[in-house]
Amino acid sequence: MRTARRHLLGWLLLAGLAAAGAALLWAAVGGAGVAAWPAWAFTALAIAVLAAYGVRVDARSRRLAGRLTRGEERLARLQGELAAAFGHLGAGDLLRGGERSARLPEGIAGSFTAAGRALSALAERIQDSSIHVAAAADGVNQVSGELAAGSSQQAASAVEITAALEELAHTAAQIAGNAARQAELAETAQRSGAAGAAAVDGAVGGVEEVQRRIDAVARRADALGSRAKEIYRVLELITEIAQETHLLSLNAAIEAAAAGEEGRRFAVVADEVRRLADRSQESVDSVRAMLDDFAGSIHATIVATEEGGKEAARVLERAREAAAAIGALRGTAGETANAARQISLATQQQTAASDEVVTTLREVTRVVQRMTGGLQELADTAVRLSQLGLSIQLVAQTFHSDSPRSLKHLIEEWSHRLDGAGREEVAARLDALVQGTPFIEMGYLADADGKLVVLCHSKKLMGERRRLSEEGARQVDMKQRPWFRAVARERRTSLTTLYDSLQSGELCFTVATPMNGAGGGFTGVLGMDVNLTSWTQTA
Amino acid sequence: MSGRHLLVRAGTTVCALPVAAVRRVLRPLPLHPLPGAGPALRGLAEYAGEPLPVLDLARLLAAPPGGAAPCPVTVVAWAGEGAARELVGLAADAALAVVAELPDGVEPFDLTALAGGRA
Repeated sequence: MRTARRHLLGWLLLAGLAAAGAALLWAAVGGAGVAAWPAWAFTALAIAVLAAYGVRVDARSRRLAGRLTRGEERLARLQGELAAAFGHLGAGDLLRGGERSARLPEGIAGSFTAAGRALSALAERIQDSSIHVAAAADGVNQVSGELAAGSSQQAASAVEITAALEELAHTAAQIAGNAARQAELAETAQRSGAAGAAAVDGAVGGVEEVQRRIDAVARRADALGSRAKEIYRVLELITEIAQETHLLSLNAAIEAAAAGEEGRRFAVVADEVRRLADRSQESVDSVRAMLDDFAGSIHATIVATEEGGKEAARVLERAREAAAAIGALRGTAGETANAARQISLATQQQTAASDEVVTTLREVTRVVQRMTGGLQELADTAVRLSQLGLSIQLVAQTFHSDSPRSLKHLIEEWSHRLDGAGREEVAARLDALVQGTPFIEMGYLADADGKLVVLCHSKKLMGERRRLSEEGARQVDMKQRPWFRAVARERRTSLTTLYDSLQSGELCFTVATPMNGAGGGFTGVLGMDVNLTSWTQTA
Repeated sequence: MSGRHLLVRAGTTVCALPVAAVRRVLRPLPLHPLPGAGPALRGLAEYAGEPLPVLDLARLLAAPPGGAAPCPVTVVAWAGEGAARELVGLAADAALAVVAELPDGVEPFDLTALAGGRA
């Protein structure tokens, strides 16, 4: 319509200009006649121009306008396709974006497909790199944790060694003190030994003097004994003489008796002689008795001097042994004093060395503690790096490509396999898929109202760790779950953020995709819980 | 019997010999034992060139041994009487004294009872 109005306006403008020009020209020439030919000529020219415009310009313009309209319509359609393709691209669905780009002109489609492939490759590389980063960060975390633990132990050991060395130094100082005291004691013992040796030497001298005197006494006693024996011999002689005298006096008395009266006076003399002999004998007997006592005393003296000599010899021997022992003791005390002084010196040196080692060990402990702190920071950084890697991985997973690593692609393949099957068949197929995929904890299907239809656990991943029974899971309102809400709202495959699995308690995330019925309507949501650790290891 | 006596001791017994019968008091003489002789005869000695039988006075008196320190003597005396008398030796433990009066309890020894001086 706008084009038609533009055409009419053109015609009216041209006609108006021609009419105005002719009217002005006719007015200028002032009526008919020969002088009016310019007006005629102008009129004829104007008509001719109008005719030419109608034939040449207006028809072409109309054709152009028609082509323009068709072009605009095609452009709008292409814009729509392009917007849809970019819409898929914006949602990360590279696959559908590529499919939609096929409807675009060949050049654009080619460029779009190339861009999609580049983006897909980029997403895969980001995913791979993020996994490597996360794995490396885990490795760094583990190693730095071990190193931190090791260095903590090292620091603790260094502290223990320091304490032990301090104790050792303390003990060495005590030993040095004890050794010094022992050296003093040994010197004192040495001095006492010298005094003892002098005393023993004096005692030996005294005993030797006693022995000499005892020997002198013994010699004199022997001499006395000899003299006593001589006296015995003299006494025997006197006894013999007295007995002879006694017999002589008896025989004289007998002879006097035989002489009768004449012999009476002689008998008296003989009796006097006999009495004298008897008194001599009695005196000899008493002298003998005294001499016996004297000889007994001399014998006792000799025995006593012999015993005394023997005792003195024993005392002398013991005193000499004591002198030798004291001499040995003095030597030993001297050696002990030297050894104790050396021990004292050595332990003082040891204490100094221990102090140096303790100082060094304290420095080492400080360094190790700083290193432990640094390693802890490194471990924390590695943990953050690992989390960052996993986040990047999840971001990379928002792209839906035909890569086998694309979880969106995987779950949509699952949804295609489950399409059109009955509940039992769906349960069997889903269980087979879950058991065949090592990083899936659970696969489940909820209907459009959020009620659980099928729930399959991974036997390998869950085993005995199942926290939630299927019956319990049925009580959960799936409509309130983030994955269900996202899919129901967007009607396209989506990923959740990381969360702790209700079943295993480990980190996981959910990938969910809408299920469409035969008519293309929304019939439910298929979801799978991806165990992060297993996924990282598998990827 | 009166007269002087020689007191001699044999063992613990003191007896008195009449001085008239006593010829000499000697130190013990060397003895030659006689085979087959009685226990009282100690043996034969030589006195003044003659054999002299020596009798054991303690045996003759049946005296118990003991007493003071012995100073042995041989008393040469006449035994027997008259023409039968002969010299014998009496071995005693000691010759004490010649006394006029016998002390109490001392008995005189009868030399005449020694027949022929042979025990």
